Amino acid sequence: MSAPLLACRGLTVARGRREILHAIDLELRPGEVVALLGPNGAGKSTLLGALAGALPPVSGAVELHGRVAVALQSPDLARRSVLANVVAALAWWGVPRPERHPRARAALATLGAEHLAARPASELSGGERRRVHLARAIAVAPDVLMLDEPFAGLDGAARSDLLADVTGALRDPARATLVVVHDRAEAWALADRLLVLIGGELLADGAPGELLAAPPSPPVARFLGYDGELRGVDGEESERLLTRPGHVALDPRGRLEATVTRVIPTEDGARVELSLAQGRLSATVDGPPPAAGARVRVALRGGVRFPA
Amino acid sequence: MGFLWHQLREAVPLIWSGHDDIMRLGWVSIRLALVATAIASAIGIPLGCAIGIGRFRGRRVVHAIANASLAVPSVIVGVVVLILLLPRGVLGGLRIEFTLTGVYVAQTLLALPYTVALTAAAVNALPPGLLDQARALGAGRGQLSRLALREARIGVLAAVIAALGTALSEVGAVVIVGGNIQNHDQTLASAVLQQTTDYTDYPNALALAIVLLVLTGLLMAALTVLGQRNDALRLRLRTR
Amino acid sequence: MTLLWAELRTAISLIAHGDPYLMQVIGFTLQVAAISTAVASAIGIPLGLVIGLGRFRGREALRILANASMGLPPVVVGLVLFLLFVPAGPLGSLHLNATRTGVIVAQSVLALPYTVALTVAAVRALPRGLPDQARLLGAGRAQLAALALREARVGVMAGVIAALATALSEVAAIVIVGGNVYGYDQTLASAALFASNAAMYAEALAVGIVLLALILLLVGGLSLLGQFGGGIRLRLGPAA
Repeated sequence: MSAPLLACRGLTVARGRREILHAIDLELRPGEVVALLGPNGAGKSTLLGALAGALPPVSGAVELHGRVAVALQSPDLARRSVLANVVAALAWWGVPRPERHPRARAALATLGAEHLAARPASELSGGERRRVHLARAIAVAPDVLMLDEPFAGLDGAARSDLLADVTGALRDPARATLVVVHDRAEAWALADRLLVLIGGELLADGAPGELLAAPPSPPVARFLGYDGELRGVDGEESERLLTRPGHVALDPRGRLEATVTRVIPTEDGARVELSLAQGRLSATVDGPPPAAGARVRVALRGGVRFPA
Repeated sequence: MGFLWHQLREAVPLIWSGHDDIMRLGWVSIRLALVATAIASAIGIPLGCAIGIGRFRGRRVVHAIANASLAVPSVIVGVVVLILLLPRGVLGGLRIEFTLTGVYVAQTLLALPYTVALTAAAVNALPPGLLDQARALGAGRGQLSRLALREARIGVLAAVIAALGTALSEVGAVVIVGGNIQNHDQTLASAVLQQTTDYTDYPNALALAIVLLVLTGLLMAALTVLGQRNDALRLRLRTR
Repeated sequence: MTLLWAELRTAISLIAHGDPYLMQVIGFTLQVAAISTAVASAIGIPLGLVIGLGRFRGREALRILANASMGLPPVVVGLVLFLLFVPAGPLGSLHLNATRTGVIVAQSVLALPYTVALTVAAVRALPRGLPDQARLLGAGRAQLAALALREARVGVMAGVIAALATALSEVAAIVIVGGNVYGYDQTLASAALFASNAAMYAEALAVGIVLLALILLLVGGLSLLGQFGGGIRLRLGPAA
């Protein structure tokens, strides 16, 4: 395993007197794409700023082996052509003049935006603007690349198009990439590794699939979609069981009794929220769902146990 | 620095003792500024509002003219008004040339571009959706104007304060139309000019200048506070 | 309208025949306007960029100071400069009073607040993310300044236009520092004052017409050059 390009130990960052980040340890290694996930206000943008060296830490230090480029959340472009914008970024980075144009065009091509090269930046759509913004950051070829919510504000179709194009563009064996993502779908599409930041603390660090199957703590589990909680199942009062809809099935032979509290229709069926003596669960149902208030039986096919 | 310091030291007691002329000039200037601005506001604010939110042909041209009127030098207004007021002029019968009344007329004309153009700009800068929504709900012209002026009140207030500032500091038109006659139709600003150039009475000039500076300083402070409130307002709207 | 009309006709013939006094005044006015605007821009725009982009303590205070300085009464500035330039004064050795150079210096000082404050405002109006993003992509201070200047050029231009407009219209400081000497250091605006006081109304009108034409030409032309879409940034200071 090669040496990390970026490492920090015990990083604590404050704004004014409020501590935003508490004792963060993390590493970024060459070739990997890491997603940073967390609720609003968890400190994700602050972490990015601190790792990039823009915010001084209260304690702990950031070790960098190479240069960092950060693409901010707002894709602000200068009022020039698309190509001129990328070329300007290369100039800021210090790339020699003869290399600027070819590298700019290559970066735009990687993001499927080479046809926009001569277009004035003010005439771009939201998705196109985001492509050029990303092309800027990739063109400078940093050792560590950080992206702050690169898909923010895009509607469904634009987002899935860009997501598909970006997954390839981000991977580079010599570079470590950290992406702040807005939701789990983006994280799963892009990342080898997932970092979960809640309340300024890094509560999870691992491959997405592993974290989902075995979340390290209840807050992380809930953030990853474990929305059901039961106590005293199997008579175990000292434990609680957290579940995802995938773990819950409506089965007439199931062991647990439940009452349907809410039915939310979806494209392929419905999401059903259930209330039980032991707690609450949610499940997905294909086909016609039971009515609200109906009594049903439920079978559990998994879940994760935590101390109560 | 000794010379300047010496003059300042002689000037301060003149203010402190409430030297008659200085106090009188102060009041004359304040009254002039207030009256001229009040009239200019009464005419200019509705006009500026109409230009800002109206939808009539040639609106852009009128708006451009209003903006251009800000650039008209005060001396030109002074010369034209004076010639009109002279005995053989159109308004000669009023016999207000070289009087304070004439100065009032000129100052009102000078304040007008500020109230019109800056109000138009303030109203124009409102988010268009707000007024469009009101129109769609059936608001009439009067209601739209009231809405626009309420929403843009900080900008309109700034326009009025700017007009006040100009009226206090203005020299060209005051001297031309009034003749800068002592004890008759001088303002603080025009008196400073006279004391410096004609009488070389520097402590007196400094005393007048200090009073003028204090008055305009208060206006500038008011504008600054308004500016901060405007920024805070915009910040709140953005982060909502 | 008889007096106005009669004087107007004389004025137009003065202009048409290239009256030498008029020509001299026009020449000096252009000189003052060009040099003072250039100096105010050369000093003020970089200063405005620093205040607009900088991240240092007291930056906000400087910004407020720049804005407030637009409201300084020119007559007060003129008086202070005059007292500094007096032979017994601290800058007396420069011999600037009653000279053309002195007039140019005074006008440059008066124009400076406009170039600074309007440049700051233009930079602050840029989308905040852009300079920040440039920093995070390695841009150094000079590159940031170039970026800001390019993006904010409309607003910066407005500052230059305001400086030019005040150079053309200003009267009080020019008269105090320069002495308003016939045939030597009069500008169009101060000549209008002079002629009017001497009851030379035709000359005053002639000067006024040329001044108006000059302002329309220069200020209007530059404004149009600065794009239609930019909107006109309005001065918040006294016009004289």
